[in-house]
Amino acid sequence: MPSFKLVWRNIMRRPLRSVLTVASLMIAIFLICGLRTLITTINAGVEHADSRRLAVMSATGLFVELPMNYQAKIDRIDGVEMTTKFQWFGGYFRSLKHFFAQFAIDPVSLLAMYPECQLPPEQKAAFIANRTSCIIGDGLLKDPEMNWKVGDTVPLIGALHPHPDDKAWEFQVAGIYHSSVPSFDNRTMFIHWDYYEETLKRGGVEPGVGVFSIRVKPGADVARVIADVKDTFQDSDQRVDCQTEAEFQRQFVTMFGNIPLFVGWIGTGVLIAILLATINTMLMSMREQSSDIGVLKSLGFTDGSMFGHMIAQSLFLAVLGGGAGILLSWATQNAIANGLGANFPGFEVKNETFVLAAVVAIAVGIVAGIVPAWRASRLRCVEALRGTE
Amino acid sequence: MLVPLSYNLRSLFVRKSATLLTVLGIGATVAIVSGILALKQGFATMFTAGGRDDVAVFLRPGATSEGDSQFSRDRGLELIKTVPEIATGEHGPIASMEAYLAVLLSPVRGGVTNVPLRGVQPMTFELRKNELHIVEGRNFAPGSDELIVGKRLVGRIQHCAIGETIVLNKTPFKVVGVFEHPGQFGGEIWGDLDRLLTAMNRYGPNRIVAQLKPGTVIGSVDPKDVLTNDTPPEPKPGSMAARLEHDPSVPAKVYSEKEYLASQTVMLTGILGGLSFILGLIMGLAAVFTATNTMLSAIAARTHEIGILLATGFRPFPIFLSFLFESLVIGLVGGVVGCLMALPFNGLKAGTMNMQTFTEMAFAFRVTWQVLLSAVIFSLVLGLLGGAWPAWRAARLKPTEALRGRA
Amino acid sequence: MSEVMIRVNKVSKAYERGNETLVVLDQLSLEMAAGRFYALMGPSGSGKTTLLNLVGGLDQPDSGGLFVAGENLAELSSSELAHWRSANVGFVFQGFNLIPVLSAIENVMLPLSLTPLSRAERKKHAELALELVGLKDRMHHRPKQLSGGQEQRVAIARAIATDPKVILADEPTGDLDRASAQQVLELLSRLNAEYKKTILMVTHDPHAADYAQSIVHLDKGQLGRIEDKQPAARGA
Repeated sequence: MPSFKLVWRNIMRRPLRSVLTVASLMIAIFLICGLRTLITTINAGVEHADSRRLAVMSATGLFVELPMNYQAKIDRIDGVEMTTKFQWFGGYFRSLKHFFAQFAIDPVSLLAMYPECQLPPEQKAAFIANRTSCIIGDGLLKDPEMNWKVGDTVPLIGALHPHPDDKAWEFQVAGIYHSSVPSFDNRTMFIHWDYYEETLKRGGVEPGVGVFSIRVKPGADVARVIADVKDTFQDSDQRVDCQTEAEFQRQFVTMFGNIPLFVGWIGTGVLIAILLATINTMLMSMREQSSDIGVLKSLGFTDGSMFGHMIAQSLFLAVLGGGAGILLSWATQNAIANGLGANFPGFEVKNETFVLAAVVAIAVGIVAGIVPAWRASRLRCVEALRGTE
Repeated sequence: MLVPLSYNLRSLFVRKSATLLTVLGIGATVAIVSGILALKQGFATMFTAGGRDDVAVFLRPGATSEGDSQFSRDRGLELIKTVPEIATGEHGPIASMEAYLAVLLSPVRGGVTNVPLRGVQPMTFELRKNELHIVEGRNFAPGSDELIVGKRLVGRIQHCAIGETIVLNKTPFKVVGVFEHPGQFGGEIWGDLDRLLTAMNRYGPNRIVAQLKPGTVIGSVDPKDVLTNDTPPEPKPGSMAARLEHDPSVPAKVYSEKEYLASQTVMLTGILGGLSFILGLIMGLAAVFTATNTMLSAIAARTHEIGILLATGFRPFPIFLSFLFESLVIGLVGGVVGCLMALPFNGLKAGTMNMQTFTEMAFAFRVTWQVLLSAVIFSLVLGLLGGAWPAWRAARLKPTEALRGRA
Repeated sequence: MSEVMIRVNKVSKAYERGNETLVVLDQLSLEMAAGRFYALMGPSGSGKTTLLNLVGGLDQPDSGGLFVAGENLAELSSSELAHWRSANVGFVFQGFNLIPVLSAIENVMLPLSLTPLSRAERKKHAELALELVGLKDRMHHRPKQLSGGQEQRVAIARAIATDPKVILADEPTGDLDRASAQQVLELLSRLNAEYKKTILMVTHDPHAADYAQSIVHLDKGQLGRIEDKQPAARGA
């Protein structure tokens, strides 16, 4: 390739065209980053699952409650180190616009079993001490109307479990947790099981448990523990299903149905469109440069160097556009995460996605450059000079 | 005097590769946008097709969907007996209590998914006689451990075929029929209310549906307000909705079925609409850039010809129109190509999670003529936007300079 | 000076046009001495440009031998030919063919980038070449900012930058007005006289041909007559 200067000058030969091409590439790479992140976010839970944790739920479905007394039976199974329980509270703050998840839990065992839920020690102590308190994820605070502080009282309308006094439930914020992994949702509220149980019973409702979480002892045979848990409840009113945390998370992934597939199709469409656009640009600039290529060849530049010259231009555009797209995606990910909110929690572009985007951009640059570059290398300079390309 | 259109058509053909690449680029963009529109259309059809104005849905006050609503059996019965607006047929009030539950089943392709299970009373079939049809096998016998499955589940979810057995908790249920319903019920499993409540250890139904006497005005608040407003307005004073909200014996929130379904789809329709809009905008922008590039290069290569046209006496405006036409043709052909790419998606089954009830929703892509029309209009807009600036540049060329070949 | 710079030995070249075969050069044999200025004349289609391109290694003959600057061109691969061109020949075209996106000096430096010279040396060489053609003051102009005559002189500077033995010019004055044409021709004569370059110039114009020491006439792909002029005619 003759020189980088010539590559650059040829790109600036039609500044508008180059800018438009780079802008299209930027848009495409930005979209690919975003679409890819939708899929990685869906899968995040599976990847970060703790191999020592198991989930126990009703064999019928997630919305069928298990009796509370199952916990004691599970605790007695050999190999079980610790258990904790989760129950979907199903309330909302003001309106469904501010939708977020709430779970009734036991604070001591939850915090012991989920070290990824990070809380300053004094807030942890305050949460455990106060039965009507709650902790909330720092992700919730991004909603300007839910920008709560420690000490605030949060009123929730109990859609699933109305308060027996026909009023809103109230919880004091004892702490704000930070999640160290994307699989532990940072937009959740945790409330005291004891308070929840007591209040429901006052209204004549017997609470049930959605999911029991088990931590097995180090070195325990996980497969055997799973089998034992299932066997224990084989003849009870509610049969249970016991899965590793990874499998449990995966069931949410499969619930997205073919959405990930469609997202993949959209990404492919974007990729095809941008590839065609870049090939188009490169063919146009190749056509304009054909007489230059003839001259360069007459000066003694080889066919191979002309190939490189065209590929370099294509790559340069792709790197510029790809880089801009990656930057744009990086700069906007927080805004997008906020925009998606609880409908799609945990949107965060992974480094692997940026690497993938960079590879895609470079590949587009090379592939789009190949046909023009090949034509340039095959161009017979006698004809190129005569202008009858 | 207008420039002959054949001039532009021939030029498009001469520059085949650039034209083709641009057409395909626009085609891919249009295909994606119309694909999402088709998805949205399929979704909207599924949810609103069954939505009726003369059917009321009763939920517990404060509940947001049938998933978190709950009545006891006695109260439900009382409501059906006491609400005077409920229409009466030969066998009593045309109303049914319904239990709604998600059960974990395996799709044919593997994994697990939550499929909606609905326990209904015989009067349901009177209520739905014009919309729900058994297309295979027979209806379940009241009080028996039998099920009928929605046609959209057949082939997608394991054991959803006549003669198969679905075990709910510990009770085996036999599939005896397949029914068709254009709305959401077409993706559900139905069985006898009391048998299902027993099998699933539930103490009562989730909601009550009833046919209303002709002319009944419910007067409920707009469900969209309930979902998105921090302080939703109260039902109209004196209306049926306002009265039931504070009924001393069985308080209930009441919607027309149409309104209820709209409230359930507000989120996903919004997401799909927003997605098609954002993707259309972003990808459309890229497609416009490509079209602009192609047209600019077409004009640069034909500067000399433009000079001849100008010298022959063509005015700038017809030249502007001429190039705009060329770009519109590219857009139109791209739109048609995009539609052709989107057409095979028609009828393709899709399933995704309903974020409000965590159940799987089965629906199909619907490439309707409205979708195709919007796709073609979209492609023409792309052509117009992509061609406007280059055509304007062509029209502003000075004849002398153009003849010398300087753009 | 009787050393042979260019030897054309029974060279044939034909082109396919449609399903017709067009014989452009037919068993042509010719020798040209080093250090002389040749004009190549003949009617359209007589094979002048084809011969020039073959001598310059831009094209390969169908048969026959081509020896230029001591190398048998028929034996070289396309990349070897490219290297050979960069060291041995300089081209001047009718349409100037400067690279429009590069300035005058950058155009002249282009062939030098194929040599092992350092950047500073390349710059020096290029400036020298531009000085020789009288355009050192215009070295940062882009081709579009130069007149036709100036563009052609930059092209000549580019052709001589690597100090090749042979300069091949195809209708170098074809697109120029009379005054510019004269400047260009005088420049070529000077390169021949002062720097002993072997020059082969295709031209239609008898005026231009007057500057050469020998005029080779081609007709239908075969050698016509060769007019040798007195070496003193143009003050060599």
